[in-house]
Amino acid sequence: MPEVRIIAKNFMDMVASMPAMKLDKLYENGFICEAILRSLPPLGKKYVLQLLHIDVPVAAKLLEEWVLPDGYTKHRVAIDRLVQLRVFVEAVDRKNDKTYKLNPTFQKSLQQLLVHGGTLPREPMPSNITVRLPNLEDLEAYALQQWECFLLQLISSSLVEKPSNISSSLMKVFQRRLLSQRDKEAPKLTESGFQFLLMETNAQLWYIIREYISNSEERGVDAADLISFMLELSFHVIGEAYNINSLTDFQRSIIRDLADLGLVKLQQGRKESWFIPTKLATNLSVSLADSSSRKELINCDVYRVEYQLPNLIVGAITKESLYNAFENGITAEQIISFLQQNAHPRVADRTPTVPENVTDQIRLWESDLNRVEMTEAYYYDEFPSRVCKLVSEMYLKVHVTLPENGTVCYGKTRRKCTWWLRPGYIHTYESIYAAKSRSKMQRPYGMVHLHPANVLWKTRKQKFALSFAPWKGNRWKKQWGHTLGHYSLLV
Amino acid sequence: MVNAIKGVFISCDIPMAQYIINMNASVPASDKFIIHILDSTHMFVQPQVEQMIRSQIAKFREDNTYVKPN
Repeated sequence: MPEVRIIAKNFMDMVASMPAMKLDKLYENGFICEAILRSLPPLGKKYVLQLLHIDVPVAAKLLEEWVLPDGYTKHRVAIDRLVQLRVFVEAVDRKNDKTYKLNPTFQKSLQQLLVHGGTLPREPMPSNITVRLPNLEDLEAYALQQWECFLLQLISSSLVEKPSNISSSLMKVFQRRLLSQRDKEAPKLTESGFQFLLMETNAQLWYIIREYISNSEERGVDAADLISFMLELSFHVIGEAYNINSLTDFQRSIIRDLADLGLVKLQQGRKESWFIPTKLATNLSVSLADSSSRKELINCDVYRVEYQLPNLIVGAITKESLYNAFENGITAEQIISFLQQNAHPRVADRTPTVPENVTDQIRLWESDLNRVEMTEAYYYDEFPSRVCKLVSEMYLKVHVTLPENGTVCYGKTRRKCTWWLRPGYIHTYESIYAAKSRSKMQRPYGMVHLHPANVLWKTRKQKFALSFAPWKGNRWKKQWGHTLGHYSLLV
Repeated sequence: MVNAIKGVFISCDIPMAQYIINMNASVPASDKFIIHILDSTHMFVQPQVEQMIRSQIAKFREDNTYVKPN
C-alpha cells in the first residue's frame, strides 16, 4: 500500500509558498509581521532585528562573520528561511557579491509596530453590554465540542445529531483526501484518513485550515485577506468580546465558518452581536486535550468493545480485531503510538507506557501477515558459451530479479575475471580478450547492457551475443567493435 | 540460445517455503507451479499462482488459530 503521510505543515510554510505580490500585501499588516517574526528560528529573529533600521544592503559575507564556524549550519538555515519568506531580499551589488536587505514593506510595518505598539483594530466591548459572557472553561468546552462535532461530521455524516452549517461542498473539500468513496458502500476512511485522526488536535486544525485557505481561491475569496484575518485573530484576547460591526463584510462571512469550526463563539445581545475568540484561535501551537468521541471511531477497528459506560470504554485488543485493523491500513506503529499518546495520566508516568508484551504482540501479529514476499522476476538460463555460462552461474547463485533492479554482487572465476552485476549492467573482465593479451587484463573491460529494450540478435557467426563496451577510467563508454563476439539477452 | 522465463520470485522463511513446496507436490502434475527452487528460502514460481498461494497461506494461518470457546 502506498505510504501517504499527511504532514501537518506549518502555517508559515503555507505563507512562504505564496507568490511575491501577495506576500508584500500581507506584510502591510503589522500583526502578520509580528507573527512571522515570532515563527522565525532564533538566529533569524536576531538578523531581522539587527537589520531593522538599516536601509542599505548588507553584504552576505558580513552576516557570515557574525557567526562562529560551529554555527554555520544554523546560519544557513536561518538565511534560507528568511529568503523563503521574502523577509530578506537578495541582490547582487557592483562587486558581484551577494547582499541582503530587509523587505521594505516588512521593514516599515515592523518599525511602526515597534514604535506605536500593537493595537488591534478593535477594542473589547464594555461589559455592561455584554451580559452572559461565558467564562473560560465554558468557552473551552464549547470550542472542543464544536471541533469534535465537526470532526464527526467530517468522518461520517450519519453519526452526527446536530449538523453544522458548513456547506456540503466545503465538507467535500475537506473529505476529499480523507475518505474514499466507493459506489454502493458508505464512504470509508482511507489510510491517510486514519493518520489524520491519530494526529493531535492542533495538527488536525492546521490541516483543515490549510485546506480551507487553498480552497478559498476557488470560491473567489482572496487567500491573503484570509490569512491576514486569521493571524489577526490569533492576537485577540481569549474570552473578550469583540463587536461584529468592527469586521469588514468579508471577515463577517468568514467568521461564521470559523464559528462552526470552534475557533470563535458568536453571541447576540439586544442590539449588538459579538464574537469571542476561543483558545483554538489564539494558541495556534498548543494542543488541546483529546476527547472521547474520536477514540470511539478508532476503537471499533482496533479493539473489540466489551463494555461501554458514559465515561469509560473497555475494549480488548484481540488478534481478530487487529487483523481487521491491518486490513484497513492501520500499521502496528500507529496503533502503539496512539496508545502511548492517549494514555491515562496515571499510566503515562510508568515507563514504558504501553507494556512490552502488548507492543511485541501487536508487532508479531502484524509480521504474521507478511511472511511471504512476492516480486515479479525474469529467469534466464541456457547461455550459449562458456563465458556467459559463468554469468548465468552468477545470476543463479544470488538472485533472479528484473534487469532494472539487478543486485550488486561479484565473484571470481578461474581466468582472473571479476564479474559483477549492477542495475541493468554486468561488468566483466573481457575474458575473450584474455586470449589476445593476458597481461593487459587488469581492469574491468566489458559491459553487458540488460535493458529491456535490448533485442536478441545474431552475430556473423550465428551466436547470440551480449553487447560489450569498454571501460575508460571512471566512465563506461559505449563503443562497439572491439569485441570478438557480441552477446545480448532477450528480455 | 538464452531462455527467459517470466514469473514470480518468492522470498519467505523456511517453514513457509516448505509449506509452498508441499502445496506444489499435492497439486496434480499439470498444475505444478514451482519452476525452480533456488534455496531454502527462495523460489521461482509461475505468475498466476500468486493469489492462490496467498489465500492458502491465510487459510493455513486461520486453521492454526485457537479461539477459546466461550
